[in-house]
Amino acid sequence: MSLHDLLVVPLGYEFMRRGLLSAALLGVSGGLLGCVLVLRRLALMGDALSHSLLPGVAAAWLLFGTSTTALFFGGLVAGLLTALGSALLSRLTRVKEDAAFGSLFIVFFGLGVALISKLPTRLNLSDFLFGNVLGVGPSDLWLAGLVSLVTVAAFVVFFRSILLETFDPVFHRATGGRGGLVHLGFLTLTVLNLVAAMQTMGIVLALGLFLLPAVSAYLWCDRFLSMLLVSVALALFGSMLGILISFHAGLASGAAVVLCLGVIFIGSALLSPRHGALRALRGGYAR
Amino acid sequence: MDQSPPTIIRFSGVSVRYGRLTALRDVSLEVPCGSSTAVLGPNGAGKSTLLRTVLGWQPLASGSVSIGDAHPHHARPRLAYVPQRQSVDWDFPITVRGVVDQGRYPSLGILGRAGAADRDLVDAAMQELGILDLADRQIRLLSGGQQQRVFLARAVAQGGDIFLLDEPFSGLDLFGAEELTHILRAWSEQGRTVLAAVHDLTLARSCFSRGVLLDTGLVADGPIEQVLSPANIDAAFRRGRCVHGRAESAAGVGDAP
Repeated sequence: MSLHDLLVVPLGYEFMRRGLLSAALLGVSGGLLGCVLVLRRLALMGDALSHSLLPGVAAAWLLFGTSTTALFFGGLVAGLLTALGSALLSRLTRVKEDAAFGSLFIVFFGLGVALISKLPTRLNLSDFLFGNVLGVGPSDLWLAGLVSLVTVAAFVVFFRSILLETFDPVFHRATGGRGGLVHLGFLTLTVLNLVAAMQTMGIVLALGLFLLPAVSAYLWCDRFLSMLLVSVALALFGSMLGILISFHAGLASGAAVVLCLGVIFIGSALLSPRHGALRALRGGYAR
Repeated sequence: MDQSPPTIIRFSGVSVRYGRLTALRDVSLEVPCGSSTAVLGPNGAGKSTLLRTVLGWQPLASGSVSIGDAHPHHARPRLAYVPQRQSVDWDFPITVRGVVDQGRYPSLGILGRAGAADRDLVDAAMQELGILDLADRQIRLLSGGQQQRVFLARAVAQGGDIFLLDEPFSGLDLFGAEELTHILRAWSEQGRTVLAAVHDLTLARSCFSRGVLLDTGLVADGPIEQVLSPANIDAAFRRGRCVHGRAESAAGVGDAP
């Protein structure tokens, strides 16, 4: 197979151009968001959040059909309900926040699966869960572009607030920062990106596009800005490569992207010169 | 009596509650300008709450706090806060300079660009704390004492004259604690006002000229030797032991952070 077959032939298809562009746009914003998820130790919460979007999306589909806007708001409402609900549960009852989140998201996910099993037959549950690049329509592309733009703009404008709130929330608060607002804005951006990535990546796998590039970058970088940039670069590279592989190998697109990024992550975890496993096994980096 | 310098922080009948729990009860005190004061007391006595009240981030149930003549919110540029060292992740991808730069963020606002003047302030702060040669190092690769000096340098870079330190000695080894003692003594000679929550009474005696002893209410306030009289220590620490049935060491030495 020539390079032409590998790279140019897929671009001849409209759906592949859309899929690649959508993956690239969400790779940029997902790479940024992932860094904050990793550094604030919210990785598992992000995973739970992504699962909880399903009932919102399914309900929107049942009520309004294939409208991207409806799916988007359905997912947004379900995600925010889970986040707010678990915050309330942990304040008002004895249950701690992680248990509250874990319990709520699994209930939401179950509800989502139940709703989808009632949907008209032409819809495939696995497309929702694991992504199907064939399903990326023009309106999905607009949504991905908009969400990506908003995320990048938020990181540029509020860079200092995001850095302070991620590194040292107490100092941020002491200097008059609005920690709660930054956190809420961050959760909203995460939900927006998860919903936008649903078509290409699937609900279950979308978080991989955020998390894996960030945690790989974390292994290589000792500065916040360089971690952000490396994470974005890895997300771009891994997502586009994954989409191409899914085309040639006939794989679910979300799975192909996550596998590509997974190889990068495992390679980084082993080989990173300062923070990798091989270095630690040789006794180089004292913890 | 010595001639007293002007008051810089004034608490008048301040009470703070978290739900039904009273964290500070009717505290009135004055902190003289340029003094170095240890805020002392058993766990839960309101040491951290008192610092947060000075920062103006704690709603008051009653009373008032003033900095100079202003409300804490309007005095923010004068205040520099140093959180507990254990409150941050030292694996964070950031260098020493990156942390000290944060001291300038409040003055820069959201979009203001850091200029030459900001860079000079950051350099001067690192120079003062002796960490300029570590500027490009990732913060995990520092000793405990060096990490504490990074936080102090960030506070100096803020450009205020009132320093609020939350348990600055916790987790420091003997050498680190000695180093910090020297720095704090130098600060008070330079006329900087320091207010620090401290749980180790021995360190408090050697490092601070004044003390505020709390047990949610104010037990004593004044020169450190008078504040730490056996009767006062007994009054502040014994009640906590009876109520919680815990063997809390009255001297607070070796207390876990």
